[in-house]
Amino acid sequence: MNSLRSDLRLAWELTRGSDRGEWWRVALTVTGAALATGFALAAVALASLRGGHQVPVAAGLLDEPGTRSGVIVGLLLLLVPVLGFLGQCARIGAVHRDRRLAGLRLAGATPWQVRRIAALETGLACLLGSAVATVLSVLLLLRQWDRPTALAWVGIALVAVAVPVLGAVAGALALRRVVASPLGWVRRIGPGSGRGPGLLFLAGVLLVAVLALLTVVTTSTAAPDRPNGRVPLTVMGVVLVVGAGAVWLSGATAKATGRVLAPRARSAATLIAAERLREDPWSAARTHAAVLLVTVVGTGFLGIRQVLSDVVHSTRHLAEPASYYTTGLDLTGAAIAIAFAITLSGLAVGTAESLATRRRGLAAQAAAGVPHTVLGRALLLETALPLAPAMLLSGLGGMTIGTGYAVLSGRPAPWAIALVPVAVYAACLLAAATSLPLLRRSVRPGELRYA
Amino acid sequence: MIAMSTRHLLLGLLATGPSHGYDLKRRHDERFPQARPLAYGQVYTTLQRLVRDGLAEIEGTDSDGGPERTMYRATEEGARELSRWAGEIAPPAPFVANEIFAKVVVAILSGGDPAGYLSAQRAAHMERMRELTALKAAKGADLATVLSADYALNHLDADLRWMSTTAARLTTLTAEVDAA
Amino acid sequence: MNRPVPLLTAGGLTKAHGRTPALRGASVELHTGEILAVTGASGSGKSTLLHCLAGIVRPDEGSVTYDGRRLADLPEQRLSELRRTEFGVVFQFGQLIPELTALDNVALPLLLAGTDRARARALAGEWLERFGVRGQQDLRPGEMSGGQAQRTALARALVTGPRVVFADEPTGALDSLSGEQVMTALVHTARESGTAVLLITHDAQVAAYADREVQLRDGAVVPLEVTA
Repeated sequence: MNSLRSDLRLAWELTRGSDRGEWWRVALTVTGAALATGFALAAVALASLRGGHQVPVAAGLLDEPGTRSGVIVGLLLLLVPVLGFLGQCARIGAVHRDRRLAGLRLAGATPWQVRRIAALETGLACLLGSAVATVLSVLLLLRQWDRPTALAWVGIALVAVAVPVLGAVAGALALRRVVASPLGWVRRIGPGSGRGPGLLFLAGVLLVAVLALLTVVTTSTAAPDRPNGRVPLTVMGVVLVVGAGAVWLSGATAKATGRVLAPRARSAATLIAAERLREDPWSAARTHAAVLLVTVVGTGFLGIRQVLSDVVHSTRHLAEPASYYTTGLDLTGAAIAIAFAITLSGLAVGTAESLATRRRGLAAQAAAGVPHTVLGRALLLETALPLAPAMLLSGLGGMTIGTGYAVLSGRPAPWAIALVPVAVYAACLLAAATSLPLLRRSVRPGELRYA
Repeated sequence: MIAMSTRHLLLGLLATGPSHGYDLKRRHDERFPQARPLAYGQVYTTLQRLVRDGLAEIEGTDSDGGPERTMYRATEEGARELSRWAGEIAPPAPFVANEIFAKVVVAILSGGDPAGYLSAQRAAHMERMRELTALKAAKGADLATVLSADYALNHLDADLRWMSTTAARLTTLTAEVDAA
Repeated sequence: MNRPVPLLTAGGLTKAHGRTPALRGASVELHTGEILAVTGASGSGKSTLLHCLAGIVRPDEGSVTYDGRRLADLPEQRLSELRRTEFGVVFQFGQLIPELTALDNVALPLLLAGTDRARARALAGEWLERFGVRGQQDLRPGEMSGGQAQRTALARALVTGPRVVFADEPTGALDSLSGEQVMTALVHTARESGTAVLLITHDAQVAAYADREVQLRDGAVVPLEVTA
């Protein structure tokens, strides 16, 4: 107990004494953890309901078990981009943090101690986020629901505890290699494989998927006159397959793009971008996986939405008022938009971070007369090059879902959704471009002074 | 540089075979490029002493068209003495007194300008270091030249470092010397 | 006496980093083809002087004139171009792009100048040859020894045929033998091509490679003749 307290104090001192980048990481991690807790709490509260209820929000969508399970799945799916975002936050200041913890290791801390300190650093931030979100959610819940069931309370407590615990575990796992070889990390040359966080992300996605499937199976007691869990299950399967494919594809295309372009590059910017991709394709994969997932879901959803609203507005005899259906569609659309926004911020954070870690080298390039425009172009190309083919595939996946649904319902295929991947691509470039002002500050000659 | 025994240097050069005085001088200057060149007189006196001590003997004379020259050769005892000397370690800095330090102290005692002296000495040292560096960095410089220049450079550099730290501590030194 | 006009002149430079003054009225002249060592203790303002002279940093006061042009009058873009074409820079470490091979690193300035990639790589190869690192041309900086990386950096600084090379502790991270190889390579090439070199060092043995030495103390040049 005593050693835990001293570790805790050390973790606090380290965080307090660290630079601005580290505070950014803490603030963003808190935000991410709060978002994750919020979504998970909403899902848990809804999942605790059994049978029909009168829920005063969302135009009666939450009254029936079938549609309610859909909403729960949607909330759980929102956890995917949040996880991606948290992954990006973990990367801010990663190099400095690794050095610092490796320094602790060299100073005589045992591997277990270093791991515990790192876990505490991340866990504390997650605990703060989870606490804030839990308090707000409970206050909101009590206004809507007079007497929540015991099951709902248990679920809320579980989520509130699980988020910081999972955060701490992820923080400890991400450090495997530092702990193993303190020397290698103190005098690190060149990037590592960087696959660890990618694998963590995939594990998180799988966990969410399993949870979502369980929800569908347990809460949607199939009524004979309504579609049962089969359709959402199939759609989710497609989404997962395409999404997992996108993660792999993003890394693979980054590698291939680098390998193909590097020998042929004619301009300095392309050469730098291509060689960076060839060296470390997985950092691109990490950044882009969530973007691709959102593209699949978004494209598919817009197709389905067009067909459905067509159906709603042309059919005279509906079981429920039209607003029941349109609210459902709008809610889903809002969820996807939120997911997209989170993903884009993750992308922007990732680009900024990759700039910040390389700032000494960039300052040296600028000092040698490499124009800022070339450096900026290389930065944008690093996002643009590998994203293009991966975006094409995930766009196709989304199109398959959307048009497939239209064909099954005997409606014209919604070709307009082909524009979605293009728009997403443009938005990603814009997100990456937000770090260009940071480039200007990163190449200050002050960075040339010895670290 | 540590004062070297000319006796042993000549014995070493004789180890490759009989040789006369002029040839020994030429080979010495060639093999130790940055050392002070040997004077003829010194070579002949040393050779005579080596013969007196039984470390070398006269092989004969050789005129080779020119003036007559005496050829010398190392004896068994000379070879033994040479290998004893070559294996013997040189005493590491037996005396720590040096001329620069002495001049600084004298300058303080006599109310002179130690800082000015150190600065001028530093400039002279740097000038010599530039000469030696140019010599060793010249294209086609042989390794013997490079190594002997390096030896001198490292010693001059050591002096220089000592002078910088001394210059920075002159005030304290002045107080100490004046108090004594 | 009719002295030639210096290639690079700095007069009365002052520069502060925040509240810490780094330069307090430093003045230096560099002539065409001259190798000038700037020495001084840590914190004496050596690096800041180099940054001002190379147009990387604008001084707070004083002026830098290169080849008749006042650097203060040039916009950032022209300064950047000047550094790319007429100047070369070598730092203690870290100036090579870690993702590029030695050959591509050296070819980079040529690519930026619009040279065709194949031609740039061919020229870069020749320069690596001159510095004795041709055999390492396909290695990345992280895979080379410190000395090889510095010789690659020198090749990169000289590949465009600059008139001035700025070297900030180029041997600072090397052992004495590797340092000697780097300095010999630098001095030979500079002499052959008539390139002026401004060499920042705290090591007298490195400074001895120069034709002339300027000592900095507390951000100003120590006068040559110290009189009592």
